[in-house]
Amino acid sequence: MTNAPTAYRPRYRRKFKWKWGEFGRVCALVFYVLLVIAPIYWMFVTSVKTYGEITDVSRVTYWAKNFTWDNYAHLFDTVEFGKYMKNSLLYALVTAASVVVITMLSGYGMSRYSFRGKGFMMGMWMVAQMIPGILCTIPMYVIYSRLGLINTRTGLFFMFITGQIPFCTITMRAFFDRIPVSLEEAAFVDGCNRVQAIFKIVLPVLLPGMAAVFVFAFTAVWNDLMTCVIYTSKSSLWTINVTLKSMIGRVNVEWGLLMAGGIIALLPTIVVFAFVQRYVVDGLTAGSVKE
Amino acid sequence: MEPYLFCLPLIFCLFGLFAYPMIRAVVISFQKYKLSQLNKVKFIGWDNYIKSLKDSNLGMITWNTVRYVVIVVGMQFFLGFGLALALRRPFRFRNIYQSIAFIPYALSGFVCGLMFRWSFNGEYGVINDLLLRFGLIKEKISFLGTPGMSIIPVYVAAIWLGYQFFAIMLLAALQSIPQEVYESAELDGCGWWRRLFSIILPYIRPTLLTILMLRVVWTFNSYELVYVITEGGPAYSSETLSSYLFTRAYGSLDFGAASALGLMFAVMLLICAGIYMKLTKFSKAGDF
Repeated sequence: MTNAPTAYRPRYRRKFKWKWGEFGRVCALVFYVLLVIAPIYWMFVTSVKTYGEITDVSRVTYWAKNFTWDNYAHLFDTVEFGKYMKNSLLYALVTAASVVVITMLSGYGMSRYSFRGKGFMMGMWMVAQMIPGILCTIPMYVIYSRLGLINTRTGLFFMFITGQIPFCTITMRAFFDRIPVSLEEAAFVDGCNRVQAIFKIVLPVLLPGMAAVFVFAFTAVWNDLMTCVIYTSKSSLWTINVTLKSMIGRVNVEWGLLMAGGIIALLPTIVVFAFVQRYVVDGLTAGSVKE
Repeated sequence: MEPYLFCLPLIFCLFGLFAYPMIRAVVISFQKYKLSQLNKVKFIGWDNYIKSLKDSNLGMITWNTVRYVVIVVGMQFFLGFGLALALRRPFRFRNIYQSIAFIPYALSGFVCGLMFRWSFNGEYGVINDLLLRFGLIKEKISFLGTPGMSIIPVYVAAIWLGYQFFAIMLLAALQSIPQEVYESAELDGCGWWRRLFSIILPYIRPTLLTILMLRVVWTFNSYELVYVITEGGPAYSSETLSSYLFTRAYGSLDFGAASALGLMFAVMLLICAGIYMKLTKFSKAGDF
């Protein structure tokens, strides 16, 4: 399989020439940044306003008159937000780490061997993409309650990890496909076995793939709402998102608090994404573009 | 044996967590299966299917879903394609720019839904305020409280959350077009439109077909945004098929009827996907 030469990015500077095409492009680029920033900005501004200012029907302000971090403080005092952050982080980190290790093996298997049933598995994965998730959730819920896994951490971990394995295997496989087999064969000649070849030779070259899979799994779990909503009702197991969702139901919605929580919920994913954006983009496009 | 050992987790996921539950779902769909009355489980034939088809909301919800998918995926495509075109040629700080422009891709449906639910708030919402300031409306609109209106925030949120995926994939496809093709077209005097329709679109067609299908399926199957923004209301007017399925399953705990409904539209979706693949000669497209 050949891949799009996304890594090939020539750097050249041109002499500046006024062109309408260029002008349009700059306008488009500005538009797209504003499109992304505006809603996030609004969320942030709301989170640093006072309750009175937020619920002022006569006037909507575009910057906080009385800038305050009170909403954030309240979140940690009254709702015990720290506990839920710890839960979210724990689920996301454990899942991401396990998924990286597991999919390295399964991705390797899918990439390097041809075996009976491989095509069937890919086909099944395609079909699985098309089935509404909730359809599988119903029997899974029944199975889970039989096994006593509802409202347990084990159950959640299991659900998160297995939920990420198929997609991440496909991604990992695409990264393995890029590494020439000759690299490993050289290692075999030098007396390595397969496992050694993976860990000593392939692993260092695979780092971008591992980064991409780690980020996929981490953000998927950090961002999850429905898994936790469906399989847990005990608030000690809740993640940030479920906690925030549960705060909407009340009669008087505290939008300041919710927006503060939202900002906290989106920060880690934005930071992680900013650092490894290239690998993530690489990972997404690795197996998908044919020339 | 070796490859099977390597793939064991994947095999387990596919069979244990997909194939087996699917079979169970089929079985449950023929049963009277209420989670609140587990001692009364029994086979009732096609009753669940008949009951689901007779549902008076079904017509409206199907129409909602079709509209939702067409509008959302269509807009995602236009915005994403525009962004990909704007990013095609390298410029300084492009990497940093991409990190910002692709942010929504990393965000959760929940946070995004929250954000737009608040923006579209009927009393204190910023959208109402902007519309008033620009004189587009005379009075504040209660978006979330009006049937027919309440799905608009869901559209906006879904578009905002998803167009980066198009941009990322189409950008990769655009970059696989050899630069010489552009240059020779330019020498031959091709205008911008001509280049778009004669070079760019044919080149990215395989990628585009794959992404379109994936996106349609994902949009069809996602219910998180509806759940967060409107919870289907008022009076089911903003439900799509998959969110309705969720409401049916966990609202009434009638798993039998929900499974039957879900199976029916899973089959419908598979048939549509099959037709799409035949019509577009999909096997020549990318292998996602």
